[in-house]
Order: sequence, then structure tokens, then C-alpha cells
Amino acid sequence: MTAVADVVVTGGGLAAQRATRDARLRGAAFFAVGVVALYLGSQSLGTSATFAFWVDRQGGQSVTLQTAVGVLWMFAGTVSILIGVIQFLRGAPFRWRPWLLLLVWPWIAAILAAALAGKPANLTGMISGSIDFAVPITLGALAGILSERSGMLNIALEGKMLVGACVASVAASVTELATGSPLISVLVGIAAAMLASGGLGLLLGWMGIRHRMDQIIAGTVINIGAVGITNFVFLRILSRNTQLNTPPTIEPWRIPALADLPILGPILFSAKPYVYVMYVLVGVLTYMLFRTRWGLRLRASGEKPAAAGTVGIDVIAIRYRSLFLAGLISGLAGSYLSLSVAGNFGMQMVAGQGFIALAAMIFGAWHPIGALGAALVFGFAGTTQTLLSILGVDVPPQLLNSVPYLVTIIIVAGVVGRVRGPAEAGRPYEQG
Amino acid sequence: MTSAISLGRRALVPLLAVFTALLVGAVVIVLTDFENLSRLGTDPVGALAGALGGVVSGYGAMLTGAFGDPTRIVAALETGSARNIATAIRPITETLVTTTPLILTGLAVAISFRAGMFNIGVDGQLILGALGATITALFLGGSLPGWLLLFISIGVGVLSGAVWGFIPGFLKARTGAHEVITTIMLNYVAAQIVFLALSSPDIRQPTSTAPVSLPVSTFVDIPLIINLPAIRLDWSFVVALLMAVAVSFLLFRTTKGFELRASGFNMTAARYAGMSAGGSMMLAMALSGALAGLAGSFMVIGTVGQLSPDLSGGVGFTAIALALLAGLRPSGVVAAALLFGALTTGGKSMGIQSGIPVDLLTFIIALVIMFVAAPDFIRGLWRLKVREPIKEAVTTHQQPSAPV
Repeated sequence: MTAVADVVVTGGGLAAQRATRDARLRGAAFFAVGVVALYLGSQSLGTSATFAFWVDRQGGQSVTLQTAVGVLWMFAGTVSILIGVIQFLRGAPFRWRPWLLLLVWPWIAAILAAALAGKPANLTGMISGSIDFAVPITLGALAGILSERSGMLNIALEGKMLVGACVASVAASVTELATGSPLISVLVGIAAAMLASGGLGLLLGWMGIRHRMDQIIAGTVINIGAVGITNFVFLRILSRNTQLNTPPTIEPWRIPALADLPILGPILFSAKPYVYVMYVLVGVLTYMLFRTRWGLRLRASGEKPAAAGTVGIDVIAIRYRSLFLAGLISGLAGSYLSLSVAGNFGMQMVAGQGFIALAAMIFGAWHPIGALGAALVFGFAGTTQTLLSILGVDVPPQLLNSVPYLVTIIIVAGVVGRVRGPAEAGRPYEQG
Repeated sequence: MTSAISLGRRALVPLLAVFTALLVGAVVIVLTDFENLSRLGTDPVGALAGALGGVVSGYGAMLTGAFGDPTRIVAALETGSARNIATAIRPITETLVTTTPLILTGLAVAISFRAGMFNIGVDGQLILGALGATITALFLGGSLPGWLLLFISIGVGVLSGAVWGFIPGFLKARTGAHEVITTIMLNYVAAQIVFLALSSPDIRQPTSTAPVSLPVSTFVDIPLIINLPAIRLDWSFVVALLMAVAVSFLLFRTTKGFELRASGFNMTAARYAGMSAGGSMMLAMALSGALAGLAGSFMVIGTVGQLSPDLSGGVGFTAIALALLAGLRPSGVVAAALLFGALTTGGKSMGIQSGIPVDLLTFIIALVIMFVAAPDFIRGLWRLKVREPIKEAVTTHQQPSAPV
């Protein structure tokens, strides 16, 4: 995490006092839930927790790990108490968000085991399902990070993903009709989706930079327009010419050698190609943003454009360029939804994932790795349906469908608190 | 008369924005007219004529669908038959029926924007308001006198909308959670709640395959303005107009309204002056949700008569467009709502008569927002002389403080 991400208040004053008080409260809260977990653990040492994983491939050989539910609770509790103590002692400068992202997992394991109450459950499908669900959210968050770090709010992710999904499906279908090659068609589909969304990124820049339009309104224009135009195209053309909306789909790809690793292979290395691209992009962007001159200039445009402009950085060009790049990435995310998840384009298929991506960006404190971590949490929330069917719990599907949205609200409002984003994001820049 | 001239000048850019957006919409219709465009190689004139004919018939259907056919209205009035008159004037009354929720939601957006809150959750607040009114009417139906039930149902609907609007306002004021994200998420949650409610046998209409509620209007109804067969225009239209007056009074003639606008204009300054910016946020969002809930209650009790998941039909989007078009002035909201009411009603008959999907209107609405928010682009496009210095584009954070 970078210094930008966290509010660091030093010295006296009211703000510093409040930050210290908040930090103490947060430490006490971590400590308290830790104690609760320890208590729950002491009560359930007798119940066994049995998790299974596929060793070679989904549905093949499986291995079971067995422990007591109490042990998982104790582990989660100990870690929570530890973080609470550190938080209490270190006060406001302590960077608790990354720790929180790590703490989520023992808690999920403990709650899951407690809910299973001794029944065995296979986790491979759920974990890889979470990762699949996290792909568009991570990619969207990366797009958001690129543009917001350069000083442009990007509410339009949702619309850009929607247009990307539509263009990808149509372009891939048309190319397959023309060439008959699934590989070429898929590549053409992805490229077309990226370019279309990249164009929308430039449109966003044209509105926000050239016409100094409020960047939230500009993003809303794209979101509404994307719904309108894709619904229109679907109803007027695609619904009557289904051959234009039957693209070849992108199937999981086993990485040679790595896919044969026991347990890890089926989870990490037999995924859809998008998953690998996501990891690579997270790594590349982290390096580019924080270790290169390009990234320094980009961040300077978002933090202090006036200073950046004074030393000769072309802030406006940087903002346009990052909006275009962000558009390319959101187009990729959109193509994932139509080419790899659904297998065709459906009206309003993005269903809020662009906004969940924004929440992941905020939770991840505008850092690619943080965003990936946050997206995995959302991904897990998205697989609750699978989870509850494993548990055999009968919950109305409408409640399950709302889980990712509720988690988003809780994360944006409750857990995260006030995160400081790029200072000048959302303000137009006057080239002096 | 000077006020009329200045009104005209103020309305020029919004009207040109709508006109330009309709032109772009026409281009989209032509470009997606594959039947005609496929003949472009062999018969270019015929292909283009055919495609343009599609635009003319589509937009023509929109016009008659919104305002009716004048010759038919005159003919019907001459016959004096109630049925004939009703069918002839129906397009106009339907336009006013569509206008009612647009006025209310437009006011909802205007209030929240004035307070610096970007409420894109109007759809969710509307549908939950409708749900509240539906449940109240269905469960208390028969046990109370009709007029009392009417007021209670609407009251519960308004309250449900207000609560759903208050949540994002509260979250923003207390935790800083951005209202754009929370309102959108709450829209999805509201839709799921409505689906859940409609799966209950006490609410769902058993004979229908689609998830819709039992007809609410068997228990309560809002009286009609004109009592003719097949005319749906009821007094909720008048209430919506009164609400515009009320909102205008609240915003520009009361202290609370001044505080709302002040914290929208410059939150730091408002706080420094001793106003509670957080309180303004919550109040504005609750009022905004209440207006949306009122719109939903009116629809479900009066004009539509039953609850369905797609009741709002994306009114929240249209409301943003028309509120911006109106410069966030209540009087402007009424005018813009009439315009969009006509477009929407006409758009439906365009969809039925010429097969052009109504969703084109959503695209056109997005263009309208874009053109209104970038007035210098529209002025440049139509070569308008700039008589006054270009004002700041419409923003969510710093509203122009111009009074009505």
C-alpha cells in the first residue's frame, strides 16, 4: 500500500485526536471480535470440519483436510486479537486495510465450517468460482485506478463494460461467420470490444476535459447511453438475427505442467485465459504505476496537476491516455462477460458489476493488488448461491441475488471508512 | 415581455439539445435499418429513401402517439360521442399520465442535486414506494373507508421511498460512502425485494404468468379528472404540479431550502457558517426518496393499478436528464417533464407501429444530458452567438445559485 492510500495524520489538532480515537476504537473492535471467536472456538472443539479439494481436476480424485471447527475459530480469533493489539498500540498510522483483507479468509473458513456443522464440503469449485466472479470486478477496478489516479473519475465503467460485452459478441460472431476460425473470431471480438470501450473512454475525456462537464454526470451519460444503445441493438437486430449473437466461447485453458500440481492446479492453473491476463495486468500495472516515470507522472496528474504542469508534464494528454487505457481494460472485462461467462450478449448483462468494481477500487485503496484482494472478497460473496446449495439451506433466491450488492454497500460504507483517493480526481484541470 | 425573451433565450439551448439528440437518434435508426441498407449497392436511392422513410414514419408515429391526430379530435368533438372523443384525445391524456411520475421524480433529482447529492437511486425509491403502497392497500383493503385507505397507502408509499432515500444520505453523511455507488446498489436490492414480495401468494396475481401483484385499484383508486371511457388521467397530475410549487417554495423561500442549496454549493462554507451539511444531505435524500415514493404510489394505485417489477421503466434515468435540462428549477422540471412525457408516450406508439424499440429513447436521453451539460458544444454546433459569458457547466458539487 502506498502512503496515498491511508490517511496519516501527525501532530496535534482536532483531526489528529479524532484519528487516534478512531484507531483505538478500531483496535478494540478487532480485539472484541477476536475474543468472541475464541469463545466460539472453545464451544466447538468437538465438531469436525471436513473440507475436500480436487487433486487433479474437477470431479477427479479428491483429498480431504480434517480439523475441528474450534481450531478454525481459534485461529481466526488469535489473528483478530493480534491485529487489534497492533492497531491499538500503533494508532492512526497503522495500515489496517491490507490486514483486514487477509483476516477475511480465516473468518470465512471458520463461519463456513460452523455452518457445515460436520458435513464435508468440496471447496475447489467455490474458490475457482470466486476467482471467475472476481475477473470483471478486478479488471474494472484496474480501469478505475488508472483513470482516477490520473485525476478523472470513472463512473462510466458499467456502461463501458456493457458496450464491450455487446461489441465483443457481435464482432466475434460476424468474424466466425466470415472466417470460420474460432480463435481469430475470439481475438477480433476482444480487440473490437477494447477499441469500442477505449473510444468511450476518450468520449468521457472529451466531455470532462474539453467541455469541463461534471465527471459524474459525464459518466452517467455513458452509463445511460450504453443501456439505451445496447438494448436498442439487441431488440432491433440481434433478437431477430441470432447468428450475429452466437460467438465462439472462450473455454478454460490448462497451463502445461502447472495444471498438474495437486490441489493448486485445479484452482489456479486450469482457469479461463482471462484469469491469467488479470494476474498479469495486476502485476504490470502495480509496477508501472509505482516504479516507472510514466506512473509517477500519471499519479502526479491526479494528486497535484498544477505542480505537474509546472514541471512540464502534459496533464491533459496523460488524462486522455489513461482514460483510453482504462477503456481498453473495461472493454476486456465486458468481452469476458459475453464471450466467456454467458456465451452471448444479453440485455443489461453487466448488472452493476461496474459499480462493484468501483467499490473494489475504493476498498483496495486505489492500488491494483488491493483491488484484486477486494474483488476476491466480492467474488466470494457472488458464490454464496453455490455455498448455500452445498449447505442445503433453503433461502429465497432473491435474497441471495442481493448479497453482492449488500456486501458492496457494507464495504463502501462500514468497513472502509474514509479512504483518501487521488486528491484532484474529479476536478477539471486548467492548462496555464 | 423582457422576461418572456429571457425565458426564450434560456430555453433555446435545452431545446436545441433535444433536437440534436433526436437527429442523432434518426441517424441511428437509419444505420440499423439493415433491410433497406442491404439494397445500398443495387439501388442506393431507394435504399436511402426507404431508411429515411423509416425515420419519418417512426418519428411521425411518435408525434401522433404523443399528441393525437388533430383532424380526428375535431371530428370526434363534432360527433359528440363520449367514446369517440375519448379515443381521439387519449394520446394527450396518456402524455399527461406519463408526465406525472416524471414531474415527481424530476423534482426528486433536482432536490438532491441542489444539495450536492447525486441520487441515481430514484428507480429503487420509486419501486419501494410502490411496494409500500401496494402492501398497505392489499392488506388493509376492505377494512377501512376508501378515502382513508387511499391516504394511508400513499403515506406508507411516501415513507418507504423516503427511508430508501435516507439510507444513502445517512451513509454519505456518516461514513463518506459515495452516494453514486450506494444508490445504484440499493436499486438492485430494491428490485430483489420487489421480486421477493411478488413471490408471496398474498400479493401475487395467481392467474398471471408474469410476476405482478393483485390489482390494487379494486380497493383504492385516485379519482379521474375527466370521466370518459379508457381515459386514465387522474388527480395525481394536479398533485404533481402542486408538488412543484411546494418544492420551489421549499428551496427558494425557506431557511431549510437555503441550507440545502448552500451545502450543495459549497459544503465547507456551509459548515463554516454553522449549517449542518450532513443534515442537509440526509434531509435532501429523504425528501428526494419521498417524492419518488409518491410517484410510485400514484402509479400503483392510480394509473397502472398494480405492482410489477418493471413499473418504473427507467424513469430514474429520464428524471436525471430532465432535471438537468430544467437547470434544476422546479418550474423547468414541469416543462421538461411534459416534453419527456410526450417523447415517452410517443416512443411507445413508435415501438408498436414501426417496430423501432423504445430503448432508442434511453439513448436519446443520454445524448440530451450530454448536450445540456456541454452547452458550449451545442452553441458551437448551431453557431449561436454567446451573449453572456459561458457559465460553468452544470455540476453536482457546485450548483449555480441562480434563483428561479
